[in-house]
Amino acid sequence: MLTQVQRLGRGGIRKLLIVGDAGIVLVQTLFRFPKLAKSFPLLLKQLYAIGVFSLPIIIVSGLFIGMVVALQGYNVLVKFSASAELGQLVALSVVRELGPVVTALLFAGRACSAMTAEISLMKTTEQLASMEMMGVDPLWYVISPRFWAGFISLPLLTLIFSTVAIFGGYAMGVHWLGVDNGGFWNNMQGAVDFRLDIVNGIIKSLVFAFIVTWIAVYQGIRSVPTAEGIGLATTRTVVWASLAVLGFDFVLTALMMGGW
Amino acid sequence: MQVPVDATQDYVVANDLTFKRGDRYIFNHVNLTIPRGKITAIMGPSGTGKTTLLQLIGGALKPQGGSLHVNGEQITHFSRRELYRFRRQMGMLFQGSALFTHINVFDNVAFPLREHTKLPPAILREVVLLKLEAVGLRGAASLMPSELSGGMTRRVALARAIALDPWLMLYDEPFTGQDPIAMGVLVRLIRKLNDALGMTSVIVSHDVPETAEIADYIYVIADGQIIGQGKPADVMENQEPKLKQFIHGLADGAVPFHYPARAIDVDLLGEVPC
Repeated sequence: MLTQVQRLGRGGIRKLLIVGDAGIVLVQTLFRFPKLAKSFPLLLKQLYAIGVFSLPIIIVSGLFIGMVVALQGYNVLVKFSASAELGQLVALSVVRELGPVVTALLFAGRACSAMTAEISLMKTTEQLASMEMMGVDPLWYVISPRFWAGFISLPLLTLIFSTVAIFGGYAMGVHWLGVDNGGFWNNMQGAVDFRLDIVNGIIKSLVFAFIVTWIAVYQGIRSVPTAEGIGLATTRTVVWASLAVLGFDFVLTALMMGGW
Repeated sequence: MQVPVDATQDYVVANDLTFKRGDRYIFNHVNLTIPRGKITAIMGPSGTGKTTLLQLIGGALKPQGGSLHVNGEQITHFSRRELYRFRRQMGMLFQGSALFTHINVFDNVAFPLREHTKLPPAILREVVLLKLEAVGLRGAASLMPSELSGGMTRRVALARAIALDPWLMLYDEPFTGQDPIAMGVLVRLIRKLNDALGMTSVIVSHDVPETAEIADYIYVIADGQIIGQGKPADVMENQEPKLKQFIHGLADGAVPFHYPARAIDVDLLGEVPC
């Protein structure tokens, strides 16, 4: 019994040490922007690699999810002769929940895993160590641009995802299922509140961006420099980032909807 | 930060240097000096802490005891910023070369120059091409690291390491995995660059003949201690059992061939465990 308690305590302390270490890496990353003229091109490059390259998966997924939500919603609403409310249903589902959450999950799988793998490989092949020996801090040259690029990209990708999903819902509802065009948009306009729905959705995506990118860069820089280590770090990034997104989504939703 | 320069002073001075990993001593009160302008080799069997010594000299690790002066400065007392500035006078050739795989050979060599100097592009180009010329790879400037052979990769890494004309060059196993031609090229290059640029070089290696050929002084370390030192000829002729076994590559000796085990007849004829 005592051994089990000891093991539990040891495990807890180990987890706390990881959180503390991740906090140190985060603080060091946030405050390492020594030369703006040199940092800006690095940031632009990462915005392109992380943000622009994630666009295809975000657009395609957004389109399909919007269409599926419209199809499912229509089949329920039509039973109550409320198919004109489809615009409202699609917009609220996407802007409040599906947009921020699904984009963050896709981003974790597409961009964060790549970020972790790249940083881990640079560590394994001593590229980070060689940078340090050349008097260049890898935290500002490698980690910081990736962190900020992720933080900036995800909210923008979320906006694009939501826009495309609503368009997908519109195409499915109005052009395929025959919902009235004016009713679709009018109901949406009347139901969606800029502050409560859109701004809250953006706040969620900002929180998700911060967390998933932090997990990705931390896993990369603290990976074990072996082939197995790279694989483990990448897996951990996807698993932890996905769980963090879902967990924080619940917390944020509860706070925003007045549950707490 | 002003770095005092005294031409007569040894470049690296370690006094009572102690470094442990867990309970295991990597260096147990070790004293050594690296003379300025010479090539000093640190040799020893695998896992004896040769690379750790380079990391200590480069400030990547801090010793648990003793002092370590590099160019007259107690490197262990540096802040992160001071350490990064100090490292600009050092070059290091990594065992795996550590070239940046996303940029070409030219940009790899230009990297430290772009980060630490404000050279106009035309001058920077000339400096980079001269460094590549020194290692015989000016013609490979536009190639990507993935297009280079192992020997060429090592030479590009060498060109990058000397880009800022360092005073101290650290070589971590420079000959490992090289074919005889590449090895011969590297041996000559290390000697030539050291003499031409007036550098101090430290080579960590277990390739005895190649290292002995160019080193001015050799330290052999094992079990956390220096087990032999001197000029190459003296070390080669030393009869101390451990040293002799390492230098002449004898399979059995002071370091046993067999990992500790039960007697062979017990293992082969004894009962098979279920």
